[in-house]
Amino acid sequence: MSDQGIKSRPSYQPIAPDPAGRHHLMVVDGAEVPPEALAEGVTPSAFEVWTVARRSAVPGVPMMEEAAGAVRTFRSTPHLFSALEERLARETMGLRFYAVGPEPFLWDAYGIGERAGLSRQEMGFAHVGPKARRIFCVHCREVMEKVTTSIVTCTGCGAALFVRDHFSRRLAAFMGVQIDAEVPGEVPAAEELYR
Amino acid sequence: MTAGEPLHVRVREIEELAPSLKRFSFEPAHGGQFPTPPAGGHVMLTLRDGARVMKNAYSLVTPPTERTRYDIIVRLVAQSRGGSSFLHRSVVPGDVLEMANPISLFSLAATARKHLLVGGGIGITPLLSFLPELKARGARFELHQLATGEEAPVFERLLAPYAAAEEIRVHSGGRAAFDLAGLLARQPLGTHLYVCGPHSLMDAVTGTAAGLGWPKGKIHKESFGGDVSGLPFRAVLKKSGIEVEVGETQSLLEAIEAAGVAAPCLCRGGACGECATPVIEGEADHRDDFLSAEEKASGKLIMTCVSRARGPRLVLDL
Repeated sequence: MSDQGIKSRPSYQPIAPDPAGRHHLMVVDGAEVPPEALAEGVTPSAFEVWTVARRSAVPGVPMMEEAAGAVRTFRSTPHLFSALEERLARETMGLRFYAVGPEPFLWDAYGIGERAGLSRQEMGFAHVGPKARRIFCVHCREVMEKVTTSIVTCTGCGAALFVRDHFSRRLAAFMGVQIDAEVPGEVPAAEELYR
Repeated sequence: MTAGEPLHVRVREIEELAPSLKRFSFEPAHGGQFPTPPAGGHVMLTLRDGARVMKNAYSLVTPPTERTRYDIIVRLVAQSRGGSSFLHRSVVPGDVLEMANPISLFSLAATARKHLLVGGGIGITPLLSFLPELKARGARFELHQLATGEEAPVFERLLAPYAAAEEIRVHSGGRAAFDLAGLLARQPLGTHLYVCGPHSLMDAVTGTAAGLGWPKGKIHKESFGGDVSGLPFRAVLKKSGIEVEVGETQSLLEAIEAAGVAAPCLCRGGACGECATPVIEGEADHRDDFLSAEEKASGKLIMTCVSRARGPRLVLDL
């Protein structure tokens, strides 16, 4: 049940800066770059790093340094993402963009990168942290965060949803499909799979 | 081996644009309309000069929406291997020629947020068919055309219909005066680069772009094949059981075709990979843009349309 053999399920690799890139910007859903997010021998100093502190006391940035080794801290992920949109809108060709964190964060970052014109070839992703999934109910379009079980009750329409490995990059979510559509009420016990 | 039945086209008009540039306008020989060509597409003309048969590829310069005529612009080169010279000197209005259906190996990226077009000399031709398409899409673009001083007014005139309120520039001050690195460094994310022109220009543009961090997937080039001439050699076609002599100014593909062997081909410019042929013996002098550096080094395949032998003999699995 943990590997459903579905090809759209993303796979991830530790990050190394693309040697062809001119500048490397990394966004991290956390206060620091987790060592396991980086390939062997790679240090955070190869990147301009943006982190999320999840607290109000973050250092001010009177002069924003846009160089390898610089670190900029944000209060929250929406705070980081909004600055990211502005930054990418004025960036030029040659940038490489990397994201480190749980899957919903990675694919929200991917969406911002893609809308700014970055191709998959210009982005890199490392999945660290919780394995909990963002689930999209294919029946009512409700989106549920932090789902850890194989079956979840939709908060939108109440359906018992099977959590598939089928992943949508556009929605940055896994698909949830009603499990008792054939035999109403026949719902197996949910297993805790995604922690 | 080009898709579909060839078209029969009649020369309806020949216009001299410059001493070495002529525009040929073709119409369907049997009436009706041409197929809708792809933007950036090219056609292959079969030219019969006595017993000699030449097949040359030319970019269409008419918009993809134009189906009553196909136009090409042909440069007469001093070292013409026959095709362009034949078109310039022997073809007259009313002549009927054989033309393969248009295909494109140089298409506009649908996801691009901006298109940067760079042309050198006659490399302007596929860009001319991009412009109406980009205008129709309302796409953001920028075009830079390099030209000699005497040809700059010709290219300016060809670009004029699209120039209003657009970033279109003709540079006649030579390559050194053209700030290529500055141009490539200031492009926004999501820009796709298209370059067509002499090999030296394409190498400079693609090399500079790669050095500035442009990913391969956003760099597109249209090759005209460049120089296919070299020392003569003998090609042994193992399957066909024959041997052909490849002359100094003849391509390997032309020599194979002259011997009556139907070899695969599509672009005839080293770009598409259709003519890839296994090499059994001998070393290839690779001149194509299709094989990777590793594939070229392994020596297992040769693109017969542009590449030659590095030595007196080449044995092919053909």
